[in-house]
This record gives sequence, structure tokens and C-alpha cells, in this order.
Amino acid sequence: MKTLFQTLLKFALVSALLAIGGVSATAQTAKLQLDQLDVLANRASETVDVKLDEHLMQTTAKFFSGKDPDDAEIRDLIKHVKGIYVKSFTFEKESEYSPAEVESVMTQLRGGGWSKIIGVTSKKDGDNVDVYLMSVGDEISGLAVVSLEPKELTIVNIVGPINLEKLTQLEGSFGVPYLNLPPPKPKSDK
Amino acid sequence: MKIKVTTVGLVLALALVIPLTAYANRDGFDNVVKAIERFYHVKHQTLPLLARAGIKAVRTGAKIRGGEYKQIAEAGSVRVAFFEEQRFDSRGNIAAFKALVQSTLAENWAPLVQTLAPKDEEQTYIYVRDAGQKFHVLVITIEKKEATVVQATLSPQTLADLTKNPNEMGKKLTDEVTISDP
Repeated sequence: MKTLFQTLLKFALVSALLAIGGVSATAQTAKLQLDQLDVLANRASETVDVKLDEHLMQTTAKFFSGKDPDDAEIRDLIKHVKGIYVKSFTFEKESEYSPAEVESVMTQLRGGGWSKIIGVTSKKDGDNVDVYLMSVGDEISGLAVVSLEPKELTIVNIVGPINLEKLTQLEGSFGVPYLNLPPPKPKSDK
Repeated sequence: MKIKVTTVGLVLALALVIPLTAYANRDGFDNVVKAIERFYHVKHQTLPLLARAGIKAVRTGAKIRGGEYKQIAEAGSVRVAFFEEQRFDSRGNIAAFKALVQSTLAENWAPLVQTLAPKDEEQTYIYVRDAGQKFHVLVITIEKKEATVVQATLSPQTLADLTKNPNEMGKKLTDEVTISDP
């Protein structure tokens, strides 16, 4: 009986460790699962889906020459980026998607090390833009922007060390749309 | 005499086309062409149009930055399938076609950019995979009455240049293969 109890206890312990390992492994990745949003493409008048993974980002970074100042700037900007993922849906009419359809993404952003750093709500236009950062220790490991407008839904997910300033520089390149985010607050000298 | 000229033209066209297609990997490309045919109940056109595309691919240059003309695709790497004057209707389920393309290519190709506009049946899918020191790029462009599937090999430098604006990548590559220089 004791042996059975000990075996069960060991099994429970091992299961618990495996479960914790699984959770922490999931929690450490800043890559959001976004494919469940694809059904919105049937209703959207336009859908854009960009996936630049780590391999492609690093290959790309190597080939931006340091001689050209623009290229050097881009290289520095993306050299540690592990992925850029963008999904954008534009609708002809308002209310063609519901916030519930984005809930699967919001659930990921409520846990797993993400924290909201900017939340902009416009009652007049019905626009909502939230910016989330994931940090591991002192290091930023990812960024997510969720922009919910009456006729447009955009999610930008950048994996790797990125901040708002860098995000702004990436706007218009690598599939990152112009997000009209508020400018980063100047650092206080105090 | 007219027949003779046509025959010579055809032979020349074939001579140009065969080297272009022989080195291209057939997986992915063929599968996606079949997937389009099954989903939309259409048929791709090969020989005459492919010949036309092959000749154009050889002589077409593309302007990709700063007024510099540069050929995007590596010589001899282009493969094209056309669907012309046919009806592409997703029947309100364009997401199903997107999923079909993804499942068809998932094994060897990574999705890069996908744009869909169901009202006009406009779709562009760009997939990439490693090809040793270079990259294979597969571009599927669908409109209401026509579609094109292009596979080409790109140098990493060219891919890097195009990746800066991935939304334009498909158009640039497809235009290079299908539009003649003025």
C-alpha cells in the first residue's frame, strides 16, 4: 500500500513538474498565436498577414550593408529581432467583427509575462490602441500592439528586444503598418 | 512559310523555357497549382503562355531601387503557371483557400506575406524556403479572372532588399516574369 502511495506521489510530482515546465516554456515566448483570427478574412474587405521569422530576419539583417547609412540603421534596428508578425483586417462597415473574436489574443496578453504600457481610447472615433511589452528580467523579449477600430483590426507582434522608439522606426517597413502611437515620453534627467 | 516561322518560334521558345524550368524544384509549385485547380475548378495553361513568360523572364529587368535596373530572379530559376480567362470565386470562404494553400505548402515552405481582398477575389501569397546559399520564393497571385503562380530563386541580397517592403514583393517578382520591358 505504501509502495503504491509512493509511486502515485512520485507520478503526481513528476506530472506537476512537467506541467510547470510546459507553462513556463509557453510563458517565455513572446510570439502570439494569431492564426485563429484567419476566419475574419471571409468578412474583411482586405486582409494582410505578414510573417517574418527569425531565420529570415537574421538573413535579411546580414545583407543590409553598413556603408549606406539607411541600411546600417535598418540593420541595427532588426539585428536582434526574432520575428515580425502582422495581421490586419479592414472591413467595409462598422461592427463587422466583435471584440469577442479577438478575445483569444487578449487572453494571451493578460498572462504570460505581458504588461500593458499604453492604452489609448478614443470615445469619439471608437478607436482603441493598446501596447504590451513582455520582459524577462530587465530585458524586453517582445512587443504587441492591438489596434481595434470600428472598421479595422490590426495586431502587430514583434519578438525580440524592441521598444516603442524602435517600433516607430520600423513603421512602414517589414510589413509594420503606421500605428499612430503617442510619442514615447522623454526620459527624465532626475 | 508561315508555318515554318511559327515552328521555329516554338522551338526557340521551348529551348528558352526548358532550362528555366528544369532546375526548379517541382514540389510545392505543382502541388499549389493542383490545389488552385481543385478549389476553383479551373485549369492552368502551360506551353504557349509559359513560353511567353520564359522569354520575358530572360529579358526583363526590374527596377528595385534608386534607378538601378536589376533582375530579381536568378537566371534559369523561374517557373510559371498561368490561369487566364477563368472564374475565381471563393464562394464567401476565402479563408478556406488560405488554409488550403498553407496546408499544401506547410511541409517545406514558410509563409511570408498573404493579402486577401475577397470582394474582388484578389489574393497574393508569398512563401519562402532555403535553397542552399539562396532562397526559393513562391508567389501566388489570384484575381477575379486570372491567376499566376511563380517560383523563382533569389539571392539573399535580393531577398533582403525585397523584405523591406514585403507587401510589394509579390508584385515585383510577378511583374518581372510576366511584363515585358517597354
